[in-house]
Amino acid sequence: MDERKDHLWKVAQEVEERIDDLEKTGAHPMGCDVGTSKVVAARQKSRNIETGSQLNAFIPVPWSRFTENILGQNQIAYYRDDDELVIYGTATEKFANMFNANVRRPMADGLLNAKEKLALPVLEAILQTLIPKARAQGEILAFSVPAAIEGKDPELTYHEATLRRYFEGQGYKAVAINEGLAVIFSELEDQNFTGIGISCGGGMCNVTLAYLSIPSIMFSIPRGGDYIDQAVGAVVNEHATRVKVHKEEGLDLSRPPRDKFEKALHIYYEDLVEELVDALRKNLSHAEKLPKSDRALTIVLSGGTAKPKGFKELFDKTLKGGASLPIEISGVRMASDPLTATARGALIAALYEK
Amino acid sequence: MEGPRTVAKEHPGEFLEALEEVTRGITDPVAKLRFIRSYLPEYRQVDRVVQKVPFRPARRMLYRWAGLEGLRQLMKRHGLASPADLTVGTRLSVAFGRAVTAVVALIVVGAMTGLSTFAYRYWRSRALPVTVAAEPAPPAPAPAPVLAPLVIPAGVAPAAVWLVEHGEGFEQYSNGLRIDTRHAVPGEPRKFHVFDRATGLVPVIHDRPAGILFHTSESDVWPLEEGFNDNLRLSSVQLLRWVKRHKLYHYLIDRFGRVYRVVEEESKANHAGHSVWAQGDRIHLNLNHSFLGVSFETRWEGGRALPITQAQFAAGRNLSDWLRGRWEIPAEMCVAHGLTSVNPKKHLIGHHLDWARGFPFEAFGLPDQYQLLPPSVELFGFAHDDDFLKVLGEPWAGVREAERALAREAARRGQTVDEVRRERQGLYDRWLTEQSRAETATAARDDPAASRKPGGVRGGA
Repeated sequence: MDERKDHLWKVAQEVEERIDDLEKTGAHPMGCDVGTSKVVAARQKSRNIETGSQLNAFIPVPWSRFTENILGQNQIAYYRDDDELVIYGTATEKFANMFNANVRRPMADGLLNAKEKLALPVLEAILQTLIPKARAQGEILAFSVPAAIEGKDPELTYHEATLRRYFEGQGYKAVAINEGLAVIFSELEDQNFTGIGISCGGGMCNVTLAYLSIPSIMFSIPRGGDYIDQAVGAVVNEHATRVKVHKEEGLDLSRPPRDKFEKALHIYYEDLVEELVDALRKNLSHAEKLPKSDRALTIVLSGGTAKPKGFKELFDKTLKGGASLPIEISGVRMASDPLTATARGALIAALYEK
Repeated sequence: MEGPRTVAKEHPGEFLEALEEVTRGITDPVAKLRFIRSYLPEYRQVDRVVQKVPFRPARRMLYRWAGLEGLRQLMKRHGLASPADLTVGTRLSVAFGRAVTAVVALIVVGAMTGLSTFAYRYWRSRALPVTVAAEPAPPAPAPAPVLAPLVIPAGVAPAAVWLVEHGEGFEQYSNGLRIDTRHAVPGEPRKFHVFDRATGLVPVIHDRPAGILFHTSESDVWPLEEGFNDNLRLSSVQLLRWVKRHKLYHYLIDRFGRVYRVVEEESKANHAGHSVWAQGDRIHLNLNHSFLGVSFETRWEGGRALPITQAQFAAGRNLSDWLRGRWEIPAEMCVAHGLTSVNPKKHLIGHHLDWARGFPFEAFGLPDQYQLLPPSVELFGFAHDDDFLKVLGEPWAGVREAERALAREAARRGQTVDEVRRERQGLYDRWLTEQSRAETATAARDDPAASRKPGGVRGGA
């Protein structure tokens, strides 16, 4: 029992990115990236942008008074649901590793997880930790939504409407913004919001081409970091959660793999990037109207899945390796902060709508 | 999030280059996005004209000029960007573009006038002489006298009031206003309802200040002489401490004209108490939430003389200009505390009387609020008592006019003035109760305890 308590203390110490400030100060337009893997909120503080994030995951543990006391004492986000304690947010991953279990997700493939009965209550609980109630009725909040995937329109409509209803219930005027466009807003200001924004998230990769801030091509592929985690987990016989931790603890795609873990990660990363570049090529080639511009466009990469070292180079190599695109590309670069790019872009959209 | 659909077609390169030249000077991404999205729909019209110009440099210049002009118009009309969001070069370019526009306009007007004069002379020289005298026309009415403003601003006034710079403990504005921000404290968030004259409580919660209320601190006042310097300083310090502790005003202007921000503008301050004011059909009750409180360190003393120093006068006017610009406060919503303060139990006006006479509205560029019918009397039938008359001698003009309106209404209905007053006072009582309920409901909605999840107990972070 003592040992277990120790673990809990460690978890508490390791909880990252506290968002107390966001909770206390409230008000002002907000941007929110509701991603499969993470929820990130952004708001303006003076002339800077402040962000806070939570893991969009949860893990239920059996209720006991002792466990509940420990969770409360250590300020770990949880709520009680009958005979279970539902631990949610950033601490979840540590618990999952501790108990060698997979985390559960309120969202899957970029949308609300229809197969998860606790999807909505947990997502709402997570959002509550990041987004305070609007100080004034009608405060603008922009939240990210993925581009439509063929055959998934009803799910997307439900996902967007559910989030909108939740935010409006908190007193906000909710505005949905395409995820790729949000990346363009936050990262391509110097190019007058012209270029290609790509957000590689947990559930999907979203791509938007915009010309002077007006989106002209938007699409997504239903694969992201989770696909890599599950595929690698299956071939190395590990939980996807452990694969994710391994992936985030310094995977370097630019150097040869050192073990079976890395080998599998390399294979599936290459697979994902190939599919992404193929989809980009196909969508650009089939586009009815491409903006007339004699300028080469910048591609900016963002999202947690794009974070490993060497991802940009892998993308660049794959892009140059295939058939040429119908538009000229000036270069590929990473977002200044890949994890918060979408939320920061959503905030710009909210401030614009204000 | 939708946007305009127009994009450049014929010469996208030239257009884009010119656009980039303008946007390069916009440092704030939101301002840049607003500019681009506002400018694109107008591009088609601009493009139609520019396409006819045969020379590339001229086309580029016209695109750029149109962009700068669009930027200037948007800054002016919609507050597209604060000047702090633009580089110095862009600001200069906007000013230059404006000057060019003015010069071109003058040339066009001059040319048109010249043409008209020529045409008129030509027509007259060819016209037949009049042989029959017409009936003498009645003398034209004398033109209405143009009233010179009471205060003629000397020197160059800034085109707008903007934040020049800010540092730890101060903000400096382009009209000379300097705000000491070291004492600023947050307060309760501003939330208020307004009433519609016809329909009553409007169920919309507002959070932007709707007006400015001018006060006097009614504190110790020492002669403005060097020998009293220590007393003057000490009084200000003590007053500031008191005002801060009780969150009384948003701004305090001391006797040397120093402007202190005390309560953050986004919060309410406890400055107005029971009070009433109106903007057309929108009625405001209890102005703590809806109005910004600006207090001059002085005693009103019945308003027989202007009780503020020259420095306070200048600072107050500059502060009023800045606040009005920042929050888009209409002139008729800038009023003195004494004109709004009421006693709700006795249904009397003038519960507080600071600035009930003598506020220099015109010199502040504001309408003479003493001439307006106070809604407390006109709409709610409030009266005044002997104590009020002891101080003021005679109510301000608007009160008398409102009382005459009540008398006319009573005569029209065949009632006594007291009966009309009682009916209207009843309306005030009902609205006051409704406001109180609405505030309670808003507070309950905002209570975090109310956001507990069904079927679970929230805990932790």
